[in-house]
Amino acid sequence: MKQYFKYLFPILIPGIILSLPLSWFPIENITLAEQRIIAIFVLAALCWVLEPIPIYATSVLIIVLELLFVSDKGLWFTQQASPDLGILLSYKDIMATFASPIIMLFLGGFFLAMAATKYRLDVNLARVLLKPFGQQPKYVMLGLMMITAVFSMFMSNTATTAMMLAILTPVLAVFAKDDLGKVGFALAIPVAANVGGIGTPIGTPPNAIALKYLVGDKLITFGEWMAFGVPFVIILLAVSWFMLSRLFPADTDKIELTIKGRFLKTPQAIVVYCTFTLTILLWLMGGIHGMNAYVVALLPVAVFSVTKIITKEDLKKISWDVLWLVSGGIALGLGLEKTGLAANAVAAIPFGDYSPLVIIVGSSVLCLLMANFMSHTATANLLMPIVAALGLSMHSLLPYGGQVALILCVTFAASLGMSLPISTPPNALAHASGHINTKQMAKVGASIGVIGLLMTFAMVYLLTVIGFI
Amino acid sequence: METINIICVDDQREVLSAVVRDLAPLADHFNIEECESAAECEELMDELDADGEHVALVISDHVMPLKTGVQLLTEIADDPRFREVKKILLTGLATHADTIKAVNQAHIDHYLEKAWDGEELLHISKQLLTEYIVSQGLDYQSRLAVLDAPTLYKLIQ
Repeated sequence: MKQYFKYLFPILIPGIILSLPLSWFPIENITLAEQRIIAIFVLAALCWVLEPIPIYATSVLIIVLELLFVSDKGLWFTQQASPDLGILLSYKDIMATFASPIIMLFLGGFFLAMAATKYRLDVNLARVLLKPFGQQPKYVMLGLMMITAVFSMFMSNTATTAMMLAILTPVLAVFAKDDLGKVGFALAIPVAANVGGIGTPIGTPPNAIALKYLVGDKLITFGEWMAFGVPFVIILLAVSWFMLSRLFPADTDKIELTIKGRFLKTPQAIVVYCTFTLTILLWLMGGIHGMNAYVVALLPVAVFSVTKIITKEDLKKISWDVLWLVSGGIALGLGLEKTGLAANAVAAIPFGDYSPLVIIVGSSVLCLLMANFMSHTATANLLMPIVAALGLSMHSLLPYGGQVALILCVTFAASLGMSLPISTPPNALAHASGHINTKQMAKVGASIGVIGLLMTFAMVYLLTVIGFI
Repeated sequence: METINIICVDDQREVLSAVVRDLAPLADHFNIEECESAAECEELMDELDADGEHVALVISDHVMPLKTGVQLLTEIADDPRFREVKKILLTGLATHADTIKAVNQAHIDHYLEKAWDGEELLHISKQLLTEYIVSQGLDYQSRLAVLDAPTLYKLIQ
């Protein structure tokens, strides 16, 4: 019976919500459209937590259900005129979430990463960059962590982890059986990948979801994000390295990483190197050239398609599931915002009575907890629309950085959930190496999560003091 | 168009020439390289890879001085750069243990016994090249003349 709950709950509970009379809801003047969005939101939350279906499928479901029940071209009975109907969404807006600028930003990142992998830029860079770190285990670990972090800023955290673990596997095989160093090395990679993703807007999907809500005068450019993201990554990485090399010292006194290969020098490879560098430079320059990060992201897409560096076969290998997962989150946010539900719901709860600090800390801790047990992206998808609406309505937050501070704290918290093998794909990959047990991962992951969250608060405080947000 | 290489490895000159002669019908579409030792083959592969060329097929003898064919093919199989390379072991003197290693560690795609039938070698090479071209997303239409049609149909459906 128990295994059926995960199928039953996501059908039953939204069904109950839909069948309740409007007056039962504790929100004033609630409309039918808002009621349906609540049901979709609860369905999404249950599906993302219990995972009866793949998480990207939940996203697609959100979009289709919104089109069917809350759009201006939905099923006939959902549009019947009624004083309680409320605002229906434009079907075009809902469909446009599949191609929202945020999605294009990620598509550009995917193209860069795919081209870099195809022309071995990643492996060759790793080979060259690892050299200066010598052969002493402690410093090799530092080198591996730094390179993993840098790569995961531009590539997916999962792909980076897979690549670095492949490099590391032959080395770990020669470690003595009871050498604790093995644990340290195997943990260093996923930790660095998770932390590294925080550094840029394209490092991990939660960052991009946050950007969706940082618009108008709250805009944070690619370069600005890196200006505070990268120092944050460096410090947290140093702390993690210190902790890992203390907790799991290696008995071996020499480690030799062998990465074979040479830099490719074909015209196509050179196009990849140049496009990669140019795209990142354009991203860092901010708006000087008139293009924003989203427009810049489409440059590598065009260049690599025209030069056949990414062929139509490669195109099929793009992680469409990640793009759709984010689209669903954007659609959910759109539904909450456009029907007016987010603002009404926030107004219905007397958040004004709480201290703004309680709100910031409370929502970040909630996000961190959720991110440990479910997908980081799904966590951000669920929390971000609510947090954004909350941040906008709470004037007492202003001295603490307002909406931006709240969004940044929650975004960073989403990436810090890494205490269990199920927390993130990098953790799962590293756990599969067989060198780490769950307890060791939990100890390290939870400590880094808490330290990282405290550092986030400190960073946001600093940004407020210098007047950035 | 991309250059696709076939590498033949044998320490005996005359055997090497015989293999290349059998593969001659492929020469218009593929670059056929000859190596007299495992070391020479590894060096060549490293170079070809750095130039961005494809190595689609390695046909190797087993009994060679310094490094055997099975050792060479095992190293190729373990190198992430050459994961997709197709491998044929062509030998008359491999022991039972060698053969087991060739299958389990070198993951060879085909085992041919000396003396071999030239037609058969060509046919198998065509099949493996077809598999390589499809798995790498390379253009197969311009190379239809030298590919194995039944394999192609199976792979692109």
